[in-house]
Amino acid sequence: MSDHILRIENVSKSFEGHQVFSNVSFAIEEGELSAIIGPNGAGKTTMFNLITGYHVPDSGRIIFQGRDIAGKQPFDIVRLGIARAFQRTNIFPRMTVIENIVTTLITKNRGNLNVVTPSKNLKQIRDRAYEILDSVGLSDKAHQLSGTLAHGNQKILDIAVALTLEPKLLMLDEPTAGMSPEERWKTIDLVKELWERIKITMVYIEHDMDIVFGISQKVRVLCYKTILAEGTPKEISANQQVIEAYLGEEV
Amino acid sequence: MDNTNRDRSSTQSAKWLGAALIAALFILPFVLSRMGTTGQYWIWVTTEMIIMGLFAMSLNLILGFGGMVSFGHAAFFGMGAYTVALLMKKAGAPLYLALPAAPVVAALTAAIIGWFCVRLIGLYFAILTLAFGQLLYMIVFQWYTFTGGDDGIHGIPRPEMLTPVNYYLLCLILFLICYFLMRMIVNSSFGLTIKTIRENMERSKFIGIHVRRYQWLNFIIAGAFAGLAGGLLTELNRFAQTDFLHWSRSAEPILASLVGGMFSLAGPAVGAAVLMFLKIVLQQAHRSLVELWAIILGLVLLAVVLFLPTGLVGLYEKIFSRSRS
Repeated sequence: MSDHILRIENVSKSFEGHQVFSNVSFAIEEGELSAIIGPNGAGKTTMFNLITGYHVPDSGRIIFQGRDIAGKQPFDIVRLGIARAFQRTNIFPRMTVIENIVTTLITKNRGNLNVVTPSKNLKQIRDRAYEILDSVGLSDKAHQLSGTLAHGNQKILDIAVALTLEPKLLMLDEPTAGMSPEERWKTIDLVKELWERIKITMVYIEHDMDIVFGISQKVRVLCYKTILAEGTPKEISANQQVIEAYLGEEV
Repeated sequence: MDNTNRDRSSTQSAKWLGAALIAALFILPFVLSRMGTTGQYWIWVTTEMIIMGLFAMSLNLILGFGGMVSFGHAAFFGMGAYTVALLMKKAGAPLYLALPAAPVVAALTAAIIGWFCVRLIGLYFAILTLAFGQLLYMIVFQWYTFTGGDDGIHGIPRPEMLTPVNYYLLCLILFLICYFLMRMIVNSSFGLTIKTIRENMERSKFIGIHVRRYQWLNFIIAGAFAGLAGGLLTELNRFAQTDFLHWSRSAEPILASLVGGMFSLAGPAVGAAVLMFLKIVLQQAHRSLVELWAIILGLVLLAVVLFLPTGLVGLYEKIFSRSRS
């Protein structure tokens, strides 16, 4: 199937005898905005870690654009077009906001071996970095140390770093974790707006069902070591198995 | 746009201070050479300070900028030292050929050792650098027929034109060239990549940086500069000996970086000079104080770690920007 950008085929993974996944299979369509939900400890982040090369599956294949990427190094997978933002903010804290983006752009353009030009003089790269910060609303904080940003802005910078790589598939691990309700919707509106504008495939993990059912085209429920159900928000919210296992009766 | 006015004026005045310092360093040996034997002694000491400053700065590419603690940096210093010693004494090579060979041999050594070491992180990296360093030390120590073993290699020729003052000037010029090369590297895209890895190694991988490759290259660059320092010290002393490779020599640039400041380029060189100066002053004040050196050094380090985490250069920057604002 050529319209599947990513296919997970019979992936299993255990840690020290504890099985997290057994024969998980699912496929993500090109251009889709989808959510992965599931109870704590179901392995949502582990699934992200397997896809992005942080962990290697025990068995099974992970096919990205027709190529098996299971077991490849994270930096190779990034180069193939998968970028991620993290559940716990994961930026370069003692570098300024703009430097976070500049270093990512340098890496994306494979300019890391330049030992001559001061990185402050890379005009094109800096202009592009300002554009990116503008698009996520952080350009007024460009020269602040990124570690001193408010939590919500650090999460947005984390997403901006991933976006800078111009991935074909963007994976966001709880983009709204730890945010206040207003911040959550601001962030989610930004994510939705980015998805509509740059037309890439996005998968995100989220616990807030209002958000999940509000913006996703498709929802996958990870539970009992496998994909318990997948479908449109409407289908999932009506699925008896999912209600019993995760959502609870009142939904 | 990148700098506020205050930052600009403080970098501006740092530049003036730097220029004044460089001018003073060029004038210094001519003043000292008029001061008899004490002057001669201090020319020798300041030359050694410059060399050890270069050695400390080279380590700091790994330590301060790369965020990796290496306990084996003396290996590259020693390889540079023995390269100069062997080429000049055994092969009869002139200094102008032997000296450039020092960083080349040191870089090759760093390439081999570093290839293994960057596969490990944190404490394991530190221990492996220590192990390789001591392995090289033992080889040089045992291989009597080639390296002279414990005796070292003595009587390295000194070109006639290299009077103490001229040799001081040669070391100073090479030091400055290395300083500006390192500054260029640190400020470049490569330097930013190294800092990025230091800040967050995991995240670096997820923006596509081949972390080990850049750590390895940085290790090689640092090794090359250390090799040049080793070569320069050999010619200053006119001998090379095994303690150039000993692990205690690897500790010196670490201490210098702590005292001077790991987060600036010149900090470790300042730290190296200050520590050497302190030791000599104590030595001249009273002989018994030298035996207390370890304790005094310990107290200095304790004070630095507790009260001056950014070192002397950090202190200078703090005082300066405060008086400005």
